Amino acid sequence: MSGRMRTIVTGVIGSDTHIVGNRILAMALEKAGHKVVALGALTPAADFVRAAVETRADAILVSSLYGQGELDCRGFRDLCVEAGLEDILLYVGGNLVVGKRSWEETAQTYLEMGFDRVAPPGIRSEAVIEWLGRDFAARERGQRRADP
Amino acid sequence: MNAPATRDSTRHALSEARIPEDLFARMRSDNLARWPTGAGVDFEAAIERHQSLPPHKQLARVMRAADAQRRCLTQPRGGFGTFELQRELMQTLDRDGHADIVPTTTDSYTRNEHWQLAQKGIEESEKMGRSMLNGYPMVNYGIEYARRLIDAIDKPAIMLTGTTMPRLTGEIGYAAGYSGYLGSGIAYTASYIKELPIEEGIRNYQYLDRLVAMYQERGVELHRRQPGFLTGTNIPPCIAIVTCVLDCLLAAAQGVKNYGLEMGETLHLVQDAAATVVCREMCQEYLARRGHRDVFTPVTLLHWMGAWPQDDAQSAALLAYGGTLAAIAGAVSVTTKTAHEAYGIPTPQANAEGLRTTRMAIYLARHIRLDGLPEFEREKELIRREVRPIVDKVLEMGDGDAAIGTVRAFRAGVLDIPWSPNRGVQSRVLPARDGDGCLRIVDAGLMPFPKEILEFHEERLRRRAERDGIAFGPDLAVASVYEISEPIAKLLPDRWQLDARGASA
Repeated sequence: MSGRMRTIVTGVIGSDTHIVGNRILAMALEKAGHKVVALGALTPAADFVRAAVETRADAILVSSLYGQGELDCRGFRDLCVEAGLEDILLYVGGNLVVGKRSWEETAQTYLEMGFDRVAPPGIRSEAVIEWLGRDFAARERGQRRADP
Repeated sequence: MNAPATRDSTRHALSEARIPEDLFARMRSDNLARWPTGAGVDFEAAIERHQSLPPHKQLARVMRAADAQRRCLTQPRGGFGTFELQRELMQTLDRDGHADIVPTTTDSYTRNEHWQLAQKGIEESEKMGRSMLNGYPMVNYGIEYARRLIDAIDKPAIMLTGTTMPRLTGEIGYAAGYSGYLGSGIAYTASYIKELPIEEGIRNYQYLDRLVAMYQERGVELHRRQPGFLTGTNIPPCIAIVTCVLDCLLAAAQGVKNYGLEMGETLHLVQDAAATVVCREMCQEYLARRGHRDVFTPVTLLHWMGAWPQDDAQSAALLAYGGTLAAIAGAVSVTTKTAHEAYGIPTPQANAEGLRTTRMAIYLARHIRLDGLPEFEREKELIRREVRPIVDKVLEMGDGDAAIGTVRAFRAGVLDIPWSPNRGVQSRVLPARDGDGCLRIVDAGLMPFPKEILEFHEERLRRRAERDGIAFGPDLAVASVYEISEPIAKLLPDRWQLDARGASA
């Protein structure tokens, strides 16, 4: 794991109030030594990006549990690019679509939107922290992110 | 993006008092002007509409009948982004699921009154051929479509709108023939929104309750319902019931006569049964103190509201067990989930299966009662001793007014909700599951529970912490959030470690 303290923006996107997992994730990230900018529930995409610019964040972790994430997350990477955050690490996770679609299909939808990693429902904080460690290390080696 | 708030001319000082008739008329005309479909609401036509519905399609009557016959009704959730999908869903739930109450869940844009976004969602859904919204955009479609949904089923219909802003959705749905509405000013504002002050949520629901009272005056009894399940995350019964009592007092003050209370299942049979009885009893106790002796307060239990397992077989057990709990507890209805819960919004078929699974469990358990069981009697008495000190303190803080007391009590942390997204809620109170499987309080925050009650909770929780090797404190609360969603092999291992004599190694 990369030693430097990283700044990570977290929140639940759109009109979604499911805060519990997001708050547990924020607690775990802090415990793992990161600086967490927790935006909480009901956060518009633009607020994530603004917070990331203001805090010079290294990563944005977007949660969505209510099924409408697909509408809320469209154009998220573009917003980052417009704000000068071309290379910021972007994760999204939760219950990401309405209905029971295959996870591969769902993950692909979000990867195509420009997210670096897509976390399935029920993922634990430890797994996200491990991804971050490996991806930050990969960044230092000049790669976009570590292998899946 | 939000529709404009109440105009100054219709803003009155916050209190629990019934909104005066002339003021309410002005509030209504302002409200109905906020989106074009609001103009379709005609109160006289709405009264006629309800009078023309057969009794079995009127939820207030069906709830009273179920209570009198000690039936446990089933009701799912369900909402899709287009009219056609919604109609098909409601018919499937009615015919294949045998739902006793048919729901319409609104989408999250509608819940937040982002009607322009909802309009885009409808267009996207139609274009993609699948629902891109997580519910039905009731306001955008308006009354005529809502009437057609009611006409497509042969059961009473309830609006499930998870919102702090019910005024236009409620006007349109009730006018179209929906006869129930889930939501309340305290519970939803504390649980479903980040920025809205508790006071504004209370005001918004006072409007809805006042509207229902207006129907009542004309002989049309509508069902209102309170979401005491709150954030749905390990809510101990006492905290749920405190909000049930306060929201119930606010509704009764506006003139509501048919007010249901909903609580999430703790999954401990005895605790759930005790909570069901005491919730109704506490509501009636405080209503009686205010002179309200004619308010019907049936209790509904909800299938597990926390995180669900990924495994369909494990989920099926939660569905059946949830029906069993509700039937034995004496709940008048149970709100169901499905085997898809861990993944997101279910298909109509999965939803209907969840209903039938639950219904069979209710059938099997319908004669079982716990009355006289010492553990049951003890738990009931414990909950009473937890609820009264908090409610009394809140009312005292409001100089007797439940609305003012609630606002002050949240500010002071006297009223608190676990895992709340609302900035106006301290959310210091933390629950966890104890060694016996009951939900207890790890950290009461600033809530004034009696000392001996908190000592009891701590003793029970420490037993579990020690047994499972988890630190007493926030870790215990977090472990309890995930517990029920863990793989069964971890929860109940099938690999025994025995020494030669057969003792556990």
